[in-house]
Amino acid sequence: MSVTLDRHVFPFTAIVGQESMKLALILNAIVPTIGGVLIRGEKGTGKSTAVRALARLLPEHLVVEGCHFGCDPDDRGALCAECRQRLAHAGVLPSHKRRMRVVELPINSSEDRVVGTIDIEAALRAGAKRFEPGVLAEANRNILYVDEVNLLDDHLVDVLLDAAAMGVNVVEREGVSFAHPSRFILVGTMNPEEGELRPQLLDRFGLCVDIEGIRDPDQRVLISERDAAFKKGDHEFATEFAAADHNLSRALVEAIVAVKKVRITSAQARLISSICVEAEVLGHRADVVIDHAARALAAYRRHATPNRDDIYDAAALALAHRARQPLRRDEEETTSPEQGDKQEGSKESESDSGEPQASESDSASDSTAEQSSSAADSGQQSAGSDQGMTTGGASGSESSPDATELFNLKRIDLPRQRRIRKQGGKRSTSQTADRRGRYVRAQPRAKVNDLAIDATVRAAAPMQVDRGRLPGERLKLERDDLRQKVRERKIGNLIVFVVDASASMDAEQRMAATKGAILSLLQDAYVRRDRVAVVIFKNRTAEVVLRPTSSVSLARRRLEKLSVGGTTPLTHGLMAGYKVVKTELLRDPTIRPLLVLISDGRGNISMFKEEPLVEAQKIAAMIAAEHIDALVIDSARDYSHLPSVQHLARVAPMYQTYAINACADLAERMGARYYGLYDLSRDEIASAVERELGRGGR
Amino acid sequence: MAIDRYSYPFTAIVGQEQMKLALVLNAINPAIGGVLIRGEKGTGKSTAVRALAKLLPEQQVVEGCHFGCHPDDPEDFCLDCRERAKAGALPVTTRRMRVVELPINASEDRVVGTIDLEAALKEGARRFEPGVLAEANRNILYVDEVNLLDDHIVDVLLDAAAMGINTVEREGVSVSHPSRFILIGTMNPEEGELRPQLLDRFGLCVDVEGIRDLDQRVSIVEKRAVWEDDPTKFYQQHAESEQDVRSHIAEAIATFPEVELPREILRLIAQLSITLEVDGHRSDLVCARAAQAKAAYDSKEKVGPAQIGEVAEMVFAHRVHSVPFGKGGPNLSEVISRMIGQS
Repeated sequence: MSVTLDRHVFPFTAIVGQESMKLALILNAIVPTIGGVLIRGEKGTGKSTAVRALARLLPEHLVVEGCHFGCDPDDRGALCAECRQRLAHAGVLPSHKRRMRVVELPINSSEDRVVGTIDIEAALRAGAKRFEPGVLAEANRNILYVDEVNLLDDHLVDVLLDAAAMGVNVVEREGVSFAHPSRFILVGTMNPEEGELRPQLLDRFGLCVDIEGIRDPDQRVLISERDAAFKKGDHEFATEFAAADHNLSRALVEAIVAVKKVRITSAQARLISSICVEAEVLGHRADVVIDHAARALAAYRRHATPNRDDIYDAAALALAHRARQPLRRDEEETTSPEQGDKQEGSKESESDSGEPQASESDSASDSTAEQSSSAADSGQQSAGSDQGMTTGGASGSESSPDATELFNLKRIDLPRQRRIRKQGGKRSTSQTADRRGRYVRAQPRAKVNDLAIDATVRAAAPMQVDRGRLPGERLKLERDDLRQKVRERKIGNLIVFVVDASASMDAEQRMAATKGAILSLLQDAYVRRDRVAVVIFKNRTAEVVLRPTSSVSLARRRLEKLSVGGTTPLTHGLMAGYKVVKTELLRDPTIRPLLVLISDGRGNISMFKEEPLVEAQKIAAMIAAEHIDALVIDSARDYSHLPSVQHLARVAPMYQTYAINACADLAERMGARYYGLYDLSRDEIASAVERELGRGGR
Repeated sequence: MAIDRYSYPFTAIVGQEQMKLALVLNAINPAIGGVLIRGEKGTGKSTAVRALAKLLPEQQVVEGCHFGCHPDDPEDFCLDCRERAKAGALPVTTRRMRVVELPINASEDRVVGTIDLEAALKEGARRFEPGVLAEANRNILYVDEVNLLDDHIVDVLLDAAAMGINTVEREGVSVSHPSRFILIGTMNPEEGELRPQLLDRFGLCVDVEGIRDLDQRVSIVEKRAVWEDDPTKFYQQHAESEQDVRSHIAEAIATFPEVELPREILRLIAQLSITLEVDGHRSDLVCARAAQAKAAYDSKEKVGPAQIGEVAEMVFAHRVHSVPFGKGGPNLSEVISRMIGQS
């Protein structure tokens, strides 16, 4: 096979550095069942370039002629219904060779384009219900590429997960009922700054690489030079890398043949599993992925069987997003199982390993948080989390008795779906106008701007005989037949708690009250589709300990680990909270964010080299300027009306360092309501939040 | 829509005994009310449900009926069958119980059914075209990632599940038809919780975790490699054990109604429910049925405490309130085993 150079696609081999990314892509091309790769990295590190460049190196494979889904003629069990019929009729399936492709899934896709929908033309012409394949059909046996996959709409993620789980896309919508194979290599790129990926989707990626900009000046120069040569259409550059790409492509083809002969010994299999056990991965997908990747690597490196390096290199790629304990590459020949068990046991007892989700950055930051926290842990709190470990443990168990006990949770009944109800038809029209969301049903409307073809045809169908339509004629439609799509979205409130965890919060169980409030809100969140995120700031940084979620179990486990101590980087905290809100708004402009700051307002760590107080005020103004609703709960105050100076001096001596009440001042600058922590019991924090969101009826 | 693909053999699934047992019990007695499988990613939840399809029993259905009505159960006939029955005995055929999938992308019209387009066009007639709920009647309705299902579809599902009947009033068709299905759902709790009402619909609930035993882990990977290499051959290798389970299930279906439920066992069940402070009585019924099915599967003539012990955790897992024993108290399985030990 030959590789023709497309002038618009940068050659794969001309990409400087980023070896692990290139390797991960190559391994997937050799063994598609590895299950794709997630490339995480900063902007401008060549993520998208590499994926597009890969397309031209992909091997050719046999596909059934004229099949929408590119069925493999030799894989009888995985044929689509149509191919199966053709096979039954004709006995053979005509086929031809085609290069594997990169099919892009734009993040603004509509669901019907992704899963497929009713063929509009056939419906209107003949009233026929025919299936028009979507992106998932095209992606079968190809690469499905999602740029900025972390910004993908939630309901598209759901659909993707559904198809990826079984390798089949089952469509039951808009009058069509259809199933077709949809096995794809999922390749996604993301910039982690813009938000995390949902855990289930994260796990679907076989491999994961984290890349960053290259720091070596020589290499950076090389990048610029090659880029310039490419843009210019430099002939020398083109021929040089056409040849290199060609060689790589041939090596790929050879590896694809060779990998079938690569065998894994049982010692190697044990090594793989012990790596996974040691890394405390969830589930078994990691084992399978490492097994596949190690074979692919061995074939690519021309080894008859994977050696230690092949296995560890494969493990590094497969565990980057799954490991909850850092991968150790010890040099002993094999880890005996007893030893592995022991290590695992001891690790579990020394730190809470109930991390439900295993992105590398997460576990890394969590472990640092752990270290700093363990010293400052208040006795009461560590007792609580210890209990959690012994009963709940690392198992991800649903109910943790301690949280219930500790925070004395009360169920708070918040009105359901207040947004839609309160805002009436207004909200729902604006929703249909942007045509986002899942089409759930159709209804007649005076003015139809989002036509439900299937429902319209169904409405018109019974009239056709009366209207005198002859067989074969175009459908006779009338105004009354038109149906508007009613779309439903998992919209809701996003409550971002920005919580002060500096040493001053330790006093009088302020943290316990705060945790209790967050958990109470979460109890109902899953019903109302509200999501909650928590940002904690202490010492010198802020950290998103809970990315927006509606999972109670996840939140509970995260919150149990919270501890207090250190200085108060208020600016960092506000900034991080602001970023979470902005990211979520980017993904879904219809959500309604509420930022809840729980602090004493006494920031003492600077972020931009200004007076900490002034910095915090600036961020507060920024939040107000963006019209983000906010609520400030002053943790140093016991009631919300303004206190006397004497009282202040008594209950909160620290105010004396500021001439003003810093917290109330911040609240004013944010345009936020201001409450004192102690005139709010836990339940009242929740109802304050509720009031604030309820105000959204305006 | 039911799909037929290479599926991984049920008996080749390593470990996860509770999950497998819960599925088998439902195949034996659908009245148990389905199972919810909760667990981490990559623990074989979906694989197990799909694998179950091949082990399901044969059942008698009225030939040509959209809803697969049971020929000996005129009470539950659909309207069609009622009409046809007046004209004389209904033709009967047997077919395997199926796993009908409800995809996350489903829209309401396909779930509940809608007007038959072709009949409407040709004759101007308003005839009903059955949807997924029709297909699911007397079969298994499987929802992968059930916690991601749209609220709207969940409502429809709950409606049908509560009555065992799907009532359709839309687009000029007005129909109701039987829709009794075994609801099987899988979910990863990290992605969000299930609505309490829907949770309660599931008879049983099992939580699966990754296996930590090294040998078992290795065996999972090895088996999977062999399967991927040649699924057909792999299936044949397991054909015998598959047949074994299948015939065991078939036998149990025939015998479970005869399995005795002694009074003291019913008392034990009631005591469990009381101690665990569960709401309502569904748990008692489900527990009795599940234990009965388990006894039949073990070829026992009488339910004993052992069977209760084997099924109690999956009956109560999703029904206990956030742990009634408070901080540091015993967990569910400890309570269950202690109570069974006492009896």
